[in-house]
Amino acid sequence: MALFVVFQTTFFLTLLSLRTYQSEVLAERLPLTPVSLKVSTNSIHQSLHLQWTVHNLPYHQELKMVFQIQISRIETSNVVWVGNYSTTVKWNQVLHWSWESELPLECATHFVRMKSVMDDASFPEPNFWSNWSSWEEVSVQDSLGRGILFVFPKDKLVEEGSNVTICYVSRNIQNNVSCYLEGKQIHGEQLDPHVTAFNLNSVPFIRNRGTNIYCEASQGNVSKGIEGIVLFVSKVLEEPKDFSCETQDFKTLHCTWDPGTDTALGWSKQPSQSYTLFESFSGEKKLCTHKNWCNWQITQDSQETYNFTLIAENYLRKRSVNILFNLTHRVYLMNPFSVNFENVNATNAIMTWKVHSMRNNFTYLCQIELHGEGKMMQYDVSVKVNGEYFLSELEPATEYMARVRCADASHFWKWSEWSGQNFTTLEAAPSEAPDVWRSVNSEPGNHTVTLFWKPLSKLHANGKILFYNVVVENLDKPSRSELRSIPAPANSTKLILDRCSYQICVTANNSVGASPASIIVISVDPENKEVEEERIAGTDGGFSLSWKPQPGDIIGYVVDWCDHPQDVLQWKNVGPNTTSTVISTDAFRPGVRYDFRIYGLSTKRIACLLEKKTGYSQELAPSDNPHVLVDMLTSHSFTLSWKDYSTESQPGFIQGYHVYLKSKARQCHPRFQKAVLSDGSECCKYKIDNPEEKALIVDNLKPESSYEFFVTPFTSAGEGPNATFTKVTTPDEHSSMLIHILLPMVFCVLLIMIVCYLKSQWIKETCYPDIPDPYKSSILSLIKFKENPHLTIMNVSDCIPDAIEVVSKPEGTKIQILGTRKSLTETELTKPNYLYLLPTEKNHSGPGPCICFENFTYNQAASDSGFCGHVPVSPKAPPSMLGLMTSPENVLKALEKNYMNSLGEVPAGETSLNYVSQLASPMSGDKDSLPTNPVEPPHCSEYKMQMAVPLRLALPRPTENSSLSSITLLDPGEHYR
Amino acid sequence: MSCPLAHLCLLTLLLPPLSSAAPISLAESISQAYSLALYMQKNTSMLLQTYLQYQGSPFSDPGFSAPELQLSSLPPATAFFKTWRTLDDGERLSLAQGAFLALTQHLQLVRDDQSDLNPGSPILLAQLGTARLRAQGLLGNMAAIMTALGLPMPPEEDTLGLVTFGASAFERKCLGYVVTREYGHWTDRAVRDLALLKAKYPA
Repeated sequence: MALFVVFQTTFFLTLLSLRTYQSEVLAERLPLTPVSLKVSTNSIHQSLHLQWTVHNLPYHQELKMVFQIQISRIETSNVVWVGNYSTTVKWNQVLHWSWESELPLECATHFVRMKSVMDDASFPEPNFWSNWSSWEEVSVQDSLGRGILFVFPKDKLVEEGSNVTICYVSRNIQNNVSCYLEGKQIHGEQLDPHVTAFNLNSVPFIRNRGTNIYCEASQGNVSKGIEGIVLFVSKVLEEPKDFSCETQDFKTLHCTWDPGTDTALGWSKQPSQSYTLFESFSGEKKLCTHKNWCNWQITQDSQETYNFTLIAENYLRKRSVNILFNLTHRVYLMNPFSVNFENVNATNAIMTWKVHSMRNNFTYLCQIELHGEGKMMQYDVSVKVNGEYFLSELEPATEYMARVRCADASHFWKWSEWSGQNFTTLEAAPSEAPDVWRSVNSEPGNHTVTLFWKPLSKLHANGKILFYNVVVENLDKPSRSELRSIPAPANSTKLILDRCSYQICVTANNSVGASPASIIVISVDPENKEVEEERIAGTDGGFSLSWKPQPGDIIGYVVDWCDHPQDVLQWKNVGPNTTSTVISTDAFRPGVRYDFRIYGLSTKRIACLLEKKTGYSQELAPSDNPHVLVDMLTSHSFTLSWKDYSTESQPGFIQGYHVYLKSKARQCHPRFQKAVLSDGSECCKYKIDNPEEKALIVDNLKPESSYEFFVTPFTSAGEGPNATFTKVTTPDEHSSMLIHILLPMVFCVLLIMIVCYLKSQWIKETCYPDIPDPYKSSILSLIKFKENPHLTIMNVSDCIPDAIEVVSKPEGTKIQILGTRKSLTETELTKPNYLYLLPTEKNHSGPGPCICFENFTYNQAASDSGFCGHVPVSPKAPPSMLGLMTSPENVLKALEKNYMNSLGEVPAGETSLNYVSQLASPMSGDKDSLPTNPVEPPHCSEYKMQMAVPLRLALPRPTENSSLSSITLLDPGEHYR
Repeated sequence: MSCPLAHLCLLTLLLPPLSSAAPISLAESISQAYSLALYMQKNTSMLLQTYLQYQGSPFSDPGFSAPELQLSSLPPATAFFKTWRTLDDGERLSLAQGAFLALTQHLQLVRDDQSDLNPGSPILLAQLGTARLRAQGLLGNMAAIMTALGLPMPPEEDTLGLVTFGASAFERKCLGYVVTREYGHWTDRAVRDLALLKAKYPA
């Protein structure tokens, strides 16, 4: 074993001595070893900068050499990069070489060494590598200065998606360091106790102000310091897109491109990318000031071909695009000018224009677009400088827009901009007859024909329609046809024609001429045919109508109807072979009845009414309920009737009526069915299926019961509106009988009363004739004639037919002595019976006062007139007498108030005392004679009754006091007895 | 910020150091300076928040605070109370003036940096400009007070001469943070300084 070890050591020593020998030999042969190697750092670019020289180079000789360079990190054995650098070396030349480190140089010590080899043809013998130079150590950490934490690389500019290594140097290993990228912690690899590196793969672009990466040193929870870097991540520079150049005038080339993303960064780290235009044939270059276009001045007329390179460049990248073209193939013409229209008429026009001349003998291709009536036509034409095109097949009276653009005909590159102009074609006569229809109102002796026509469409009008000509020609009698001209906006006219056949021609006219005529013939009896009306059902889309084909020559059919609510006649023409059509228009409204009439048009242009149809586009429920009358109300039945209800003016066809009846009885009547109302209540329902049956007898009712009814019509869409029930109460069974008896009785009584009234005079005379008046008797005149003053009418006292009894009324008496203007005694009377003792207001020649007796038959009103009841009393009358008169004992008689009124009929002033005989009726008409024919009584007191005495004559004698006591009045009751 | 009254106040406060022809009383100077400082105090936190909002994480993170970050070119505003209270008026004013002098220069630097980093943020740039203008106004006011008190004016130093221009973007963001933060702290301190003076020299 020991022998083996000794042998092995000997072998290695021998080998080592052999190698040393070989090196010395090589050095002697090739002494071109790199020397004076110096390494410096550039912390901005994180690069090592090497410079060295090569000794023993031949003077003034250039040799090609290869240098192998080794770079180690942290320690020499940790080689991170090996590479060769080939260059030609001159005598005494200082060589430079740089190496960019991925890891920031501040975070690790780097070691560099190199060796060289001759690689030159002038030294054909085999070459050998020189010896390695000694390791050069590069350490930046020492120059970091004070501080506990450092993060590198600072402000590095990278492209989006690239890989970046960052690192920190922590001076104190006690500190715990955490690093964050935009707030998110990142984890790295510890290079040594102080240094940790982080490999960031494919860094994203976050913002152009850079990405913050920071590390925080802390001990426990105490922050010791914060340090960071800003990583400037640039967007990747894009290649310019759509690069092209063109010329409008052979003086300037206008080049454009799409620049793509702007890669500018904040903090002046990177400006926007620059664009440079390079033309390889001329070798000229131009820095473009705009980011998406550049103008290139054409200086040489002879240069036809151009090879342009557009170079986009920023700090990190350069991109370029290339185009090669012939100048004449990139002509973008300026838009044509002087666009005009010549010889414009109704259907054609000539369009002219000019093109900006580029070079001689240039041919241009021009494109014309003609827009009008919603259509577009396109024409291509080849022109020189002046363009011209004949536009044909135009519509009359139409505005057109024509525009033109041109391009180089020999090498089409691009159309120019459009140049356009509007023009309007002239009018032409209308091309089609107006669509005419009529409505006829037949009246005795004539027809009123209303003609309607539809305005011509723009296509057929060929201009502005100014008026319509209506020519009416009598077909039965040869006469001059009548022409009417109706100004344009009108679409109807009214004609009154007698009972002859007429042909009516209607033409539409514009400024150029008239349209073909539309002919209608009105026959003698236009619409005398009675045609049954048929009901049809419409739909939302309209009405589907069909009719029976008409035998004979029919040139077409016309369906007409009225639009509601405008009441405008509408019509539709249908061909002769068609017997059905669908009338659809938005004007149809639900709930409105439309009447359609179908006419056949004969070859003679006479319209013949064929069929009538009526219907609703949509039927609705009735809008109102009938007003129901209750008739023939008996104890067991009543009749409901609604004769006034119109079934025609409803929003649907009335199919019948529902009669609802409510009663207290649970059972419905035989013809009624049970029904439930919308409010949930139950009632009985009777259905009438005939819309014209507008009455219903409700029978089998109970007397003295209350019933409620409600009548509503119904259509296919439902019933009429809900309404309140009307109440009916049946009478009891006897009440009718009572009425039968009572009414004749009342009638009889009334009749009797009327008869009585009419025969009142007769009854009066029969039942209570007037009492005869003694003064009016013939006896009296006879007495006067004999002039016997002592003769008088027979006094009752003389006869003493009876004793007069003075009755003192227990109710009391009212007495007034007006001579003293003072009420002496007042006694209330329950009945207004009065006796007044009145002094006279004049000086009477006659003696003493007189007493007024009031007759029951006379009216009270007389007392108010100031004379009745006044007793004429002389001022000299002794008070004793007055006292006597006013004493209660002297109140002779109370009078019924009613009977005093008649006194008023005696003229005032004529008499101060009016006494009218109780036998004389105030109605007799004799009272007027009383004052004029006075009869003087011998004594006032003696006059008991039956005499009216003038006051001045009837003065009693004062001496005959005793007679006063005899002044009496009969009780009315007694009086009439 | 856009209060017309504030601008008027700022203008009047800027006037005294510029025109020696119209001397105003000490109490008035103190009162004007105090009013300006109070007004500045209301907007300092808004400036800091706006600044942080534009810098990205971690600055824009909610509740971001890095008290350990300091600037050697900017004196810290924090001080022990006893130390601060025992300073005489001249020393106190002198310290504040030195600080605001440094702040005006730093605010200009921060504004320049931000116009480069955040050119599309006119709000931040306007706020930085306004803060600098106010700091200058307060400087003028304090100079007037010191003149009125007969105190020597501190020499103007170019504090920014010490700042390295090769700072990285992150360092410049940090610098802006420290400057806007310290601007608030120094404004708070100036309010206290001037309140003491106001109490001492009542109107």
